[in-house]
Amino acid sequence: MVLFPLICAFLMPIMAYFKKEVCSYITLAITGIVFFIASYLAFVVIPGRSFVFHIGHWEAPWGIELVVDPLSALMISTITAFCFLIALFSIKTVRMEVPLDKTGWYYTAYLLLLTGMLGLMLTNDIFNMYVMVEITGICAVALVLARGTKEATEASLKYLLLAVIGSGFILFAIGFLYSVTGNLNLDYIAAELGLVKEYYPYLVWTAMGFFLVGFGIKAALFPLHLWLPDAHSSAPYASSALLSGLVVKVYIISLVRIFYQVFGPDMLTGTPMGTLILILSSMAIVGGSIFAYTQLDLKRRLAYSTVAQVGYIFLGLGLGTSWGLVAALLHVVIHAFMKVGLFMVAGTVYFQTGKKNVLYFSGLGRIMPVSMGAFTIASLSMIGIPLFGGFISKYALAQGSMEVEGYGFVALVVLSGLLNASYYLPIVWQAFFTEEKRETFHLDMVPLSMMAPLLAVTLGLVYLGVTPGRMMTMVENAASVLMFGP
Amino acid sequence: MIPIPALDFQIIVASFPFLASIFLFSMGCLIILTQQNLIKKVIGINVMETSIFLFFLAIGNIIPGGPPIVRPGMEEVIYVNPLPQALILTGIVVSFSVTAFALAITVSLYRFYGTVYVDELMKMR
Repeated sequence: MVLFPLICAFLMPIMAYFKKEVCSYITLAITGIVFFIASYLAFVVIPGRSFVFHIGHWEAPWGIELVVDPLSALMISTITAFCFLIALFSIKTVRMEVPLDKTGWYYTAYLLLLTGMLGLMLTNDIFNMYVMVEITGICAVALVLARGTKEATEASLKYLLLAVIGSGFILFAIGFLYSVTGNLNLDYIAAELGLVKEYYPYLVWTAMGFFLVGFGIKAALFPLHLWLPDAHSSAPYASSALLSGLVVKVYIISLVRIFYQVFGPDMLTGTPMGTLILILSSMAIVGGSIFAYTQLDLKRRLAYSTVAQVGYIFLGLGLGTSWGLVAALLHVVIHAFMKVGLFMVAGTVYFQTGKKNVLYFSGLGRIMPVSMGAFTIASLSMIGIPLFGGFISKYALAQGSMEVEGYGFVALVVLSGLLNASYYLPIVWQAFFTEEKRETFHLDMVPLSMMAPLLAVTLGLVYLGVTPGRMMTMVENAASVLMFGP
Repeated sequence: MIPIPALDFQIIVASFPFLASIFLFSMGCLIILTQQNLIKKVIGINVMETSIFLFFLAIGNIIPGGPPIVRPGMEEVIYVNPLPQALILTGIVVSFSVTAFALAITVSLYRFYGTVYVDELMKMR
């Protein structure tokens, strides 16, 4: 049932070992099945109910629970949808970039990453969360390492070392919580912590701080983001899309879950933690955009853009209001669409023309109109222009800032839209409007398996921008369950 | 009256495992971040993770307790909390696999650059 993806992912290495060419299609089938299961669970949970599954039939607090509440349902449907689309995209790109005898292992790591992310979203036990964090982290490093070049190896070592420091902080914080409450189930910890909080104020603050640093290293919050540009720019295109769009987000979502479910939403505003998150996220938004402006390699530019967008999400998180949380969750989903679309465009451009440097993109609109059209739509959405998805999340963020009377943050959101424009629009302009003596206008010569996910993602982005109704209800359900209890 | 904890020798001695754990954790993080030799960085990972396991053990310790084994005759004996020990086993497995992975990447980097020192590696980029 819920454990099907986990078991399937473990069978993958065995199958992949024998037949090398088929494993990408097997991955596609497995991610498709997982996507159907996840959307079925999501539909079950939409009215606001939760769905609890006990592993091994041991009841909580002795056993580990897997819970599908609205937040989990939203995230697992997003994760599985994107894993499916990226698996489709990666059939051709992985053949291009990863050495042939290693593609089996690449898909092994891919499926284990899917396992880790799904487990992380579904679990209700804090130590199981740590185990899933480790699984996800190691598989993400393996996906970065897939190319085997010099830069990829250095970047993956840097990522691994920093990720281990992050996990150390998380484990330490779990130790703190266990020492005070004696439980490992998130709901039970929340109940105990409510009783015990007054006696150990410093310890609870320390635990919150350690969680923030630990998950912040893994999610690339501003001063802790140093591994991100190298790792995302030297990974294969499919895994860059996956890492930047999904893996970074699952850590933020688990941080959200810990802060809101275990510590309670009043902890953010009552302690200096909320202010700290706001300061760091503002620095992330501005700093990430400024760094992105100076990068010439397209993938590094997109990686710094991820740093800035993670700053947005933390801004929504640090505001501490209901709209702030809605904005953060919305931005998680919408940014996944945008970033995956952008990285897919980067992949198609590299596939057809072999270009990676932004200066050489001039005139590409004539020979690759579909890709550059998708890039334009994703860029406009990043900037926050209405009618595309990004506007919805920026509007929610502005709404949340106005609730707290933080008009500076509204100005920051608008200003950062301009900063985003400064490094996306030149590419778009160059692609379509420069006068080059190019051949006549013809469509991209890129295989359908790469075009189809790109079109799906772009159409999804436009659909969400125009009619965000269903997604808004899902996100609002998730936020209200987090803030006010089930 | 409760004495100020910082000046009470008894409490410092009693909480020695916690102090050691924090000291080792910070040393481990510093080793990972500042040492020039990649192998030493991997050792730093182990030091840091070991300190966290020490912290977990220190939490589970009950002062007059023995090992958490219950024999059929003696049911009422006080034993140390066994749950952190189970968590530590998982943590040891995770730490070991991360160490193995980091060492494999280090070997691969050595094959590329011929050196294990980070500053020479930076010059050779």
